[in-house]
Order: sequence, then C-alpha cells, then structure tokens
Amino acid sequence: MIFKIAFKNIWRNKLRSWTVIIAIALGIFGGLAVISTATGLSDMRQDNAIRTYVSHIQVHDSNYLKFNGLTDIIAEENEIVSYIKKHPNTEGVSARLRVESFIQSAGGTSGVILNGINPADEKRVTNISEMLQDDNFLERYKRKPPILISQKLATKLNAKIKTTIQCSFTDANGMPVTGVFKVVDIFSTSNSMYDEVNAFVRLEDLQAISAVYGSHEIALTLKDDEQVEAYRKELIQNFPKQHIASWRGIAPELGYADKMMDLVMTIFLIVIMLALAFGIVNTMLMAVLERKKELGMLISVGMNKRKVFWMIVWESIFLALIAGPLGIIASYLAISFFGRYGIDLSFAAEGLRSVGLESMIYPTLSSNYYIVISVLVVTTAILSCIYPALKALKLNPAETLRTA
Amino acid sequence: MIQVTNIHKTYDDGKVQVRALRGIDVQIEEGEFTAIVGPSGSGKTTLLNIIGGLDTPTQGDVMIGETNIAQLSENELIDFRLNHIGFVFQSYNLIPVLTAKENVEFLMLLQKRDETERNERTTKLLQAVGLGDQINKKPNEMSGGQQQRVAVARALASKPDFVLADEPTANLDSTSTANLLDIMLRLNEEENITFVFSTHDQRVIDRAKRVITVEDGKILSDVAK
Repeated sequence: MIFKIAFKNIWRNKLRSWTVIIAIALGIFGGLAVISTATGLSDMRQDNAIRTYVSHIQVHDSNYLKFNGLTDIIAEENEIVSYIKKHPNTEGVSARLRVESFIQSAGGTSGVILNGINPADEKRVTNISEMLQDDNFLERYKRKPPILISQKLATKLNAKIKTTIQCSFTDANGMPVTGVFKVVDIFSTSNSMYDEVNAFVRLEDLQAISAVYGSHEIALTLKDDEQVEAYRKELIQNFPKQHIASWRGIAPELGYADKMMDLVMTIFLIVIMLALAFGIVNTMLMAVLERKKELGMLISVGMNKRKVFWMIVWESIFLALIAGPLGIIASYLAISFFGRYGIDLSFAAEGLRSVGLESMIYPTLSSNYYIVISVLVVTTAILSCIYPALKALKLNPAETLRTA
Repeated sequence: MIQVTNIHKTYDDGKVQVRALRGIDVQIEEGEFTAIVGPSGSGKTTLLNIIGGLDTPTQGDVMIGETNIAQLSENELIDFRLNHIGFVFQSYNLIPVLTAKENVEFLMLLQKRDETERNERTTKLLQAVGLGDQINKKPNEMSGGQQQRVAVARALASKPDFVLADEPTANLDSTSTANLLDIMLRLNEEENITFVFSTHDQRVIDRAKRVITVEDGKILSDVAK
C-alpha cells in the first residue's frame, strides 16, 4: 500500500511531476550525449594516432631513443620481424629507417623526417596509403626515386605531384649527401602536425643514400588491441636488448587524453547528479509542504514515521525510475544513431585536423556507463529525498491538523 | 474506559504562554456518545487531542484502559493510536489518491490484517455507513457528507476502543449532518461503539447523550441526558 500511495502521490500534480521527470531525463540525455561525443572524439584521436603513425607497438634500439643516432639500428631486426610475422595476433609489421633531413624544392624549404618504408608492409600497419590523392603509395615511379609528402608540406614547398625535390642529410659515414626524389603522391592525415614533419620514401632508396643498411624502427599492429600489453611483454621476454613500447609509452599524451576524458566524464556525472538531486529535493520538499495536513493525518491515525519516511523516499525513487529510463533510452537511441551515421562537424574541419581529429564524430558509450548512470540516478534520488522526508518526520500531527 | 485526571496544557512559544487546559478531570465509559462543547479557544480540541494521544499534557494523566498514554513514547503512541483509537476529522482528511475502499482498508493494512478480513470488514463498514455502492469512488468524486461517512468507516476499521471526532459536522449541510449523526448513533447503540466528539454544532449537541462544556480550559458543566 505504501508503494501504491507513493506512486499515486507523484501524479497528484502531473504538470510538476512531468516537468521534473523531463528535466531529469534531459539532464541525463545531455550529460550522456556530451560524454559519448567526448568519448567518440577521444577514441577517434586515439584510433587515428594508432592507425596513422603510432601503431600498437614499436621496437627500437635503446640508443636510438637516447641519441637519435643514424647508425643506432635494430641489431636483431630480421629475428624480430620474423618472430612478429609468425605471431598469430599480428596484423602487420613494418620496419622503417628514419632520417632527419632538410627538404627543399624550387618553391621552399623545410625540415622533415624521411621514413624509409616497404610500401607493402607499411600498408598493413598504417593507413597513410588510404589518404592519397592519386592512390600511388610509392608503387609507380620512373627514373627518380619516389617520395610521398603531405598536403601541408606540399603547400609549404609549393610542390605538387611530379615536382622534384631534394633531401639533404648526413650519411652513416658523416658525409653530407643529397637525395633527389620525385613527388609521386600527396597524403593528408587528420593530424596536420604529423603531416608537416613526415615524408615517405622507399626503404632501399633511403638505405642506399644514407649507407645505413637496417632499420631504426619496427612498428606493428595487432588483430586484438586488448592484447597489446601481453604482446609487448612477450616481445620484451624474447628480445630483452631492444626498447619495446606500446602506444601508451610512445605517445603518452593519448593516455593522458584518456585520463582527462575520465575526469571530464566524472565532472559531468557529478553535474548531472547534482541537477537531479536539486530537482528531486525541490519537488519532494514542495510535495511534503503541500501535504502537511495529510501527513499529519497519516501519523495521527497510526502510520509510524518509518513508513511515512519510506513513502516519501519511494515517491522520489518512482520519479527517478520514470525519468532515468526515459533519459537513458533517449540517450541510447541518439548515441546508437549518431554512432552509426556520425555527427558532421565539417564546418570546423580545419581546427579539428590541427588536433588530430576528423570532422565526422561517432559518439560512443560503454554499456557500463548506462549501468553506472542507472545506479547513480536511483542512489541520488534516495539521497536527495532524505531531507524532505526528514522534514515530514518532524511534523507534529496535532499542529498540522489544527493549522494546515 | 477513558480516565483523564488533572490535565493541564500550556503552550509556550518562548514569548507568550497560553494555558489551554487548567486541571481537567473527566471519565468516559465504554458505549458513551459524548459531546465536548465550548466556544472557540475554550480548549475542547486540545482536550480531544490529549485524549487521542496527538498532544501531550503539561501535567496530569490520561488512562485509556490500563495504559497511561501520557507516559508513552512517540512511537508507542503512534502504535497505540493505530490499535485503540479511531479518528474523524473536521475536514475528512481522506487520502485523495485512494478509493473509499482503499481508504478504509488502509489502517487494517498498517495493522497487517489478512486480506480476507480486510475485504470483509471494509465492505461491512462501507455498507454500514450507506456507501456500499460507492466503494471505488475517490474522495473528489464524493460529496462532503459521503467523505465524512467514509472517514467514520475508516475510524472504525482498526477496531478501536473508541472514536474521537473533532467537529465532524462543521463542514456538512443539515441533511448530511443528520445522516452522519444517524449512522454514528446507530453504531453506538447497536455495536456499543464509544464516540467522543468536540463540537459547537447545536444539532450534534441535541443528539449527544452526554454533554461536557469546556470554557477557559476548565469543565464548566457535565450533563448526562
């Protein structure tokens, strides 16, 4: 009967109850929408970074990371690559020779890192090959060795496809050398900072010019990205002399972004729950004050205060139980829809690219979040009705019957 | 039996002291149909509230049967009221979201009586107050007189030792008043239910079997008819 009265009580003032329910539902919807969009952005930034330049795991010679020396190549390159290729969880592996170079064309100059790659291997690790204007990933060329530069660098160098450019650096013998390359294609990733300082050439061409016959970096991607840490530990166990890092170690800023996102989400959840709490406190306080006489009557005829307390608590739980699912279902539908079709932010594409993001955002939210929100909504509802319920308990029945 | 001995009640808001009752002694036997009358502010409602355990006396004892309710804790009083006292209020005070049947059944639910007993007693009581065909109506679908009759049925639902009614006819027209008094008197005579009510309604005073007049917090007269 307490449940029944509590449930019926919330419909006494339908307009007020629905206003509170809709406010709570909108609060949950707004919060989850922001959280899912932020998560989508964070995931996209992370995925883009992994698929474009970080990959899941990278192997380097320990000295290379300290001194960046041209000759600090990976001593066990063949064994490592062979081991990785045989591993069942490997999606792709690419050995790279990285040389810091001065790049110049007739139209401009810049500093750049030349990445010597095997195009077929690189395609399985990064998605640069999918971001080309002419679909030529160093595969079609004539006399001069091919080079891929980014759109950003091309603009800086005033270069285009078929432009000849020179790359100057010091070779393994300490001698200055210059390589002449022809731009065969231009790429454009979602990270303009990366684009500005990276160019790609064929591994054998760069090895020939630099006289460094090996690789500075082995990058690999996994089929199951949940296994990155286990895979990394396995590699360390087998090749203890090498420096082997996961994407979190290589690009810690991506991990920080994750942590930052967690913090933002926590703050948002607190804001949502505070809004919910204020809504319920206000509504229940009004409901108690309006019903002083009735509550006094209930206590007079023998309803003990524990039951009165729980009746108020159940009223607020019912409000939350109606509003919570409404907000959560609306959020789920919206997140599912936009998670599939995306939110088009092309009007801000340039700004987003500068921080490594694309203009189509796909909101996403872990199912755990829906559970957490549901539990939090009910908990907040219970906590926030304690004050109004305690107010009800302090009522003096004789006084309320006389004065209300 | 209700035995009130040397009851004093003083309200003190920190600035002003109001002596609502000044040494009341009264005894009400089982089966009485007693009206406590007096002008506004005379102390009749305070006396009724103290007898009903809704208010505590500043001094004195209130024995209901063998229990001195002036000595009970707040929770014990609530429990005592549920099982021993029925209340009828001036403005009906039914639970607006419940039907007549549910309003009557409510106290029995608090007493944890079984469903069969609840249903039988609810039906019997609503028929006794002439509302056997109105059981599914909510208070706002009934007239004031009908609502007060539901209140009487509710007061009797918990099988109380006696019923206290505070100005039960104050908001009723003459027909509804006569109707309600007929029902209460019949229940008093046929089922020996004790009724004590505060009133200044002459129609009620005329039909009461005993009239206790209170003025300035004291009993002015106590007349049995």
